[in-house]
Amino acid sequence: MAKELLSLENGTTCSSWNYSSTRLAAGSVDGTFSIFDFHDPPSSSSLTSTFKSKVHEGNIVKIVWVPPEYGDAVACISADGIVSLLEEIVEDSQPLQWKICKTFRSNASKVLDVQFGISSTRLKMVAAYSDGHVRIFELLDPLELRSWQLQAEFQNVIESVSSFGKAVCLSASISLNPQKGQESSFIVGFNSNTPELNSSKVWEFDQAHQRWLPVAELALPEDKGDQVYAVAWAPNIGRPYEIIAVATHKGLSIWHLGLNPDHNGRLPVERVALLSGHQGMVWQMEWDMSGMTLATTGNDGMVRLWQSNLNGVWHQQAAFEPTS
Amino acid sequence: MAVTANSETSQIHRFPQYKYIDAVRWLPVLSAFNRFAVLATFDYDSDLSSIEIHSFKPNPISFEFQSSWNSPSRISSLKASQFLQKTVIAASTSSGSLHFLFADSSDATLESEVSVPEDELHSVSESSIDLMDGGVECVTVGDDGRVNLVTVGNSNLNYRRLFDSGGLVSYTAVKWASPVEFATGGYGFGLHWWDQRKPGGPVSQFKGNWDKNLTSGIVHSIDIHPSRKHTCLAGGSLGTVLAWDLRWQQQPIILSGTGAGDGNTAVQSISESEVWEVQYDRCIKSNTSSTRILPSMICSEDGILGVIEQGEESIELLAEPCAINSFDIDRHNPLDVICSLEWEAVAILTRQ
Amino acid sequence: MSPNTVGNGALIPFSGDTTDSLAVYPLHHDLARPISRLAISWSRGNSLRVSLFAEPSVNPNTGDGAKVVEVKLGGGDPEITDADWRRIAYGSVAPFALLQSRRSSLSELSKSPSPYHLDWWEHVLQYSKDITSLLGGPKLSPSLIIEDPNEIVQKNEEPTCLKAAWELMEIFYVDKQSQAWLPERLVDWLADYDSLFTSTQETIHGKLVDFQNDLVNIQVIEDDPRYWEVMSSALSVGWLDIVVKMLRLHGSYQLDQLSNRELENGLVEAVAVLISKMPRLRPESVVGNLGECFKSKPDFIKAWEKWRSQITKLDCSPFWIQCDNQQTREGLRDLLQVMLGNTESLCTASCYWIELYVSHFLYIRPFTIGIESMYNLAQKCIQLKPPTGTHRLTELMIGILEENTEVVLAEISREFGPWMIAHAVELLTAGSEQAEILLHDERDNLGGISIVELHRLAYAQILSSHTLTWQIAPIYLTSCMKQGMGLLENLLYRQSVQHKNTLLKNIEICRLYELDHISSNIMKVAGVYHWKHGRKGAGVYWLQQSQDTSCLDRIAQQLFDSVGKSISDESFKQWEGIIELLGSESKPAGGLEFLHKYRDFKKSLQMVYSGKSTDAARQAVGSLIMLMKNPSTPQRFWLPLLYDSLKLLNWKDSPLLSVSETNLLLNKLQELSLARQRPHFTEPSLPPQAPSSIRLALATNLGRAILDE
Repeated sequence: MAKELLSLENGTTCSSWNYSSTRLAAGSVDGTFSIFDFHDPPSSSSLTSTFKSKVHEGNIVKIVWVPPEYGDAVACISADGIVSLLEEIVEDSQPLQWKICKTFRSNASKVLDVQFGISSTRLKMVAAYSDGHVRIFELLDPLELRSWQLQAEFQNVIESVSSFGKAVCLSASISLNPQKGQESSFIVGFNSNTPELNSSKVWEFDQAHQRWLPVAELALPEDKGDQVYAVAWAPNIGRPYEIIAVATHKGLSIWHLGLNPDHNGRLPVERVALLSGHQGMVWQMEWDMSGMTLATTGNDGMVRLWQSNLNGVWHQQAAFEPTS
Repeated sequence: MAVTANSETSQIHRFPQYKYIDAVRWLPVLSAFNRFAVLATFDYDSDLSSIEIHSFKPNPISFEFQSSWNSPSRISSLKASQFLQKTVIAASTSSGSLHFLFADSSDATLESEVSVPEDELHSVSESSIDLMDGGVECVTVGDDGRVNLVTVGNSNLNYRRLFDSGGLVSYTAVKWASPVEFATGGYGFGLHWWDQRKPGGPVSQFKGNWDKNLTSGIVHSIDIHPSRKHTCLAGGSLGTVLAWDLRWQQQPIILSGTGAGDGNTAVQSISESEVWEVQYDRCIKSNTSSTRILPSMICSEDGILGVIEQGEESIELLAEPCAINSFDIDRHNPLDVICSLEWEAVAILTRQ
Repeated sequence: MSPNTVGNGALIPFSGDTTDSLAVYPLHHDLARPISRLAISWSRGNSLRVSLFAEPSVNPNTGDGAKVVEVKLGGGDPEITDADWRRIAYGSVAPFALLQSRRSSLSELSKSPSPYHLDWWEHVLQYSKDITSLLGGPKLSPSLIIEDPNEIVQKNEEPTCLKAAWELMEIFYVDKQSQAWLPERLVDWLADYDSLFTSTQETIHGKLVDFQNDLVNIQVIEDDPRYWEVMSSALSVGWLDIVVKMLRLHGSYQLDQLSNRELENGLVEAVAVLISKMPRLRPESVVGNLGECFKSKPDFIKAWEKWRSQITKLDCSPFWIQCDNQQTREGLRDLLQVMLGNTESLCTASCYWIELYVSHFLYIRPFTIGIESMYNLAQKCIQLKPPTGTHRLTELMIGILEENTEVVLAEISREFGPWMIAHAVELLTAGSEQAEILLHDERDNLGGISIVELHRLAYAQILSSHTLTWQIAPIYLTSCMKQGMGLLENLLYRQSVQHKNTLLKNIEICRLYELDHISSNIMKVAGVYHWKHGRKGAGVYWLQQSQDTSCLDRIAQQLFDSVGKSISDESFKQWEGIIELLGSESKPAGGLEFLHKYRDFKKSLQMVYSGKSTDAARQAVGSLIMLMKNPSTPQRFWLPLLYDSLKLLNWKDSPLLSVSETNLLLNKLQELSLARQRPHFTEPSLPPQAPSSIRLALATNLGRAILDE
């Protein structure tokens, strides 16, 4: 039924494909980072291992690729909340290899999730921390992944008067607006003990005042404190609205986000579906390149696919069950 | 969409292969009765790359599989030549290895193979080779900026590096001019002339500052006519075909190209996209002036197979809805042209 | 079904119905330990990659820790191999593109949004014929074409359900010319495709093949009841040639028996003649087919009545009593009953409802024209012959007869997949304005696109997921008014830049559809890729092509340092190539073209330092002035340039710079000191006394120059 592409070693905990799905990065419990490549030029053949090295002391829990405009590079998030940026590069007549070019760590809190985006030709890294903070870093030199600058820092709250110092977050999920060539916006949701932080909010950069503003909150009034497992912003190939999927313990909701802000600067939102499927934690949600099919995985160990039908009704279209 | 130009003056036969054809060549064979073509194929479904020999019979038309050799990966460059009583096929692969296959000259059965393993010659997948006519010297160039010479002995291969630019210059095409000279092409329509008697680098460079109006591109293919060794014919991006005469280095003759700028209406363009291969047309009319560039044939990404002649209107032999990746003119029957179509097929064209 | 596809387009949202039971597919892996985690990633198009991670084990020898698998969703028709699908995909590009361009030129002409022109269906018919020619299965080996006297059923090509479905839609929706003889087209259709139904039920074709296989073992053919049975069956669906051929196998034709079975043979021959003279309401028969064809209905009616009266006459003939072969007598009279349209005989002769349906048109309702009440008749036939199993072609046929576009759409989408639906909508919309409205109406529920566009996008996704077909997806995407370009941009962005041919194809597609911003982005990705992977020349080339000034500025700095450093080196020759490349660029090279002049300057400077003449020094000054005058020389390089030239400025023999030249350089120095006040000024790494020593040298030079002039 499915074609096997690759077997990975014992202890592999995470994997991530690059923009063109031709390279796979994998991380292990012991901090080993490996790269697998398809033969070039494209063929259907299996992948071959082209790099393997221990890059971290602890468990690598997530790998995120940097946009290809900045080379072949990844961010590895470890279980202890440290982010290492690794880049494949030829330097000073040494052979091509992956090198750590930057490490992000914070004494007080752990990094839970990072995502990259490009706005006004600058690379941005959005990072969510275990204390409920979101930090945005900007790359200073387009050819150097070493030099970053903190652009902004804020908590994921709409009406921010007080800061929630005691917040403890288990996980966070960030998803950037995949639309290229415009000022970036992203959505972030937390799974924490502080209800105000949890609900997923859309943040947009306000050019005029050079600051990030929350422009929408994707939760019904009664669900605002719900812990968020995962968020995913769908590619928009021409719809007059954005589609964003949010997973909480109540299920999977599909939101429409309007494009034109009201007088308060808020974008209109509408929850068009609440779907149940995974019966618990949702691990990951991914939209296909048309933004029409959503794939999800979760605690029940299934892969589920969701689509909207001709009448605009969202439903589960198929599911995959791993069997040995 | 698919308009076959000149269908009155040539016969076209298409043979679906159900495999991607990376390159195609006629085999130079001695037999007058058999005609053979060599195909570099890639079977997506079985994930097999191979070099296949097919026999072509014009009457009744047939194009039949004869024999094949499995390649470790896809073929990036394919050349065939004749040496003593053997037909030699040289192929470089996308994994960086180089292979020589020897075939019987009368029935084209593949008899033996020698190879240079991966990573010995080039560090990257993109390489181009040329096999010396009537010889077993093969020059290889690559994106990594290396230039190698491989000589096939009786039972062994010798190879040495002639030059290594360390990646500062990438080479994308190569062609022998004489037993000691060859020309290479690269990015920015760069053309270099090399002479093995003067090692250490190119002896002549096609200077870039000749025409500010020409948009830059990549050279994909070079041809040099045995009777006019001083002229280097190059085909590349934006439908560009140009002739570089070593004696008038700064003034190339643009034979085709859209990158020549709006002001330049003197040059027509047979294609608007990549010219994948260029060869002097072996089928020359007797009245060709000696001061002119000899007519040449090209195939292109936008599906054109055509003939370009300086100062004349170009002739489209084929206009396919898909790319034509490579072609070859039969040296014994120059009216016959074989070409590989992107849509997993081979076409054989017989000009009248 | 192809091993790595799921469902026949089941993932394409085609129905309004969401109550379908959920399809759960197994994902096979051979991991020994339980799965602890999954990761998913979409590749291009409809290909989904799933990583399955086993629970980590302390024992390292417990097999693999994880598997990565690929699932392709919503594939094609299992009947057709992947390679053949690609052939069909390639072949359908040209007809599709031609039809789209005809549609747009027609709607431009008529200024109306709907392409309803009197002759529009003719264009669609041409398109349909072009597509049909692609759908033929593999030809059988040529040896079978050699005429075998005992061969009853001939096959020229392997029929496929795909082609059968396509032709069925062509018959009902497109071919307006043959609407008048629709039943006859159905007869032909069944003759071509009856064998396909053998998979789910008994068919006349199947019976014929079985009988033919047994033929060699039968001694006296007319004594075998199956002989007569098979002939009535074949006759009931109008396979006249086969019946006549079989009748001629009758024992009474054998030379040694002819004399004593004269009457019997006469009756056989009379029936054979009647069969071969059957009037048909159709323009002309396929070459070699029996029956007399009539184009006009009145002529046909006249001929039909005459033919029927001949049959009745023969049926009542006294010769039957004289025929002493009971088998022959009864068999022949059964054939006559079929021709007389005896419902019971037809029902016995046919195997399933479509055969019965066709026999009704031939013998009971020969004057039917058009689609009128065809559905009712079909229902009647289904009642008489309830189907034993469902077949995808019968479901489609019912949908067509019902005149229910939605059902037809759902059937072809489910059973034949995205290629079929993307191409067949052209047939459906040629059929009726109602279907046209249904399919082309833009729907809010679909994000503002029409059903036609939705299916084209879905088909483009299938094409996108394959290495060999992604490049034809743009043809379909650009025919989508609303969202095609958006999806095309995503597709192009997700192609790897590593392989030159793919990269150039990608850029070529951008050029064709004027997606300059995408190609510029792709070229930047390629530039950074090559630069970082040690191929500096290729990197710079692509960055120049993408006109990425910010990266080129950074590279200029690096090159400036390297060129400056290596000028005396042996390795300088290596830089020649890249500098040539930079110089040849006419597009703004982001401050890189000055490097060319800088190289010349450094060269002559080197000659000066190696103790060459004043001429060399003059040349170096010339280059310096050129560099300083050139607006493309970045400001940050001014000071290093001047500092490098100190020896020239302090030339012993005579001042090398004229008054105006010295003033130019002094002005530049002034500009620099002003620029230093501004933010973002990067201080060059020079000794702190550099500006003052330059200023001093320039002042001295100025003084000497004034004296000289």
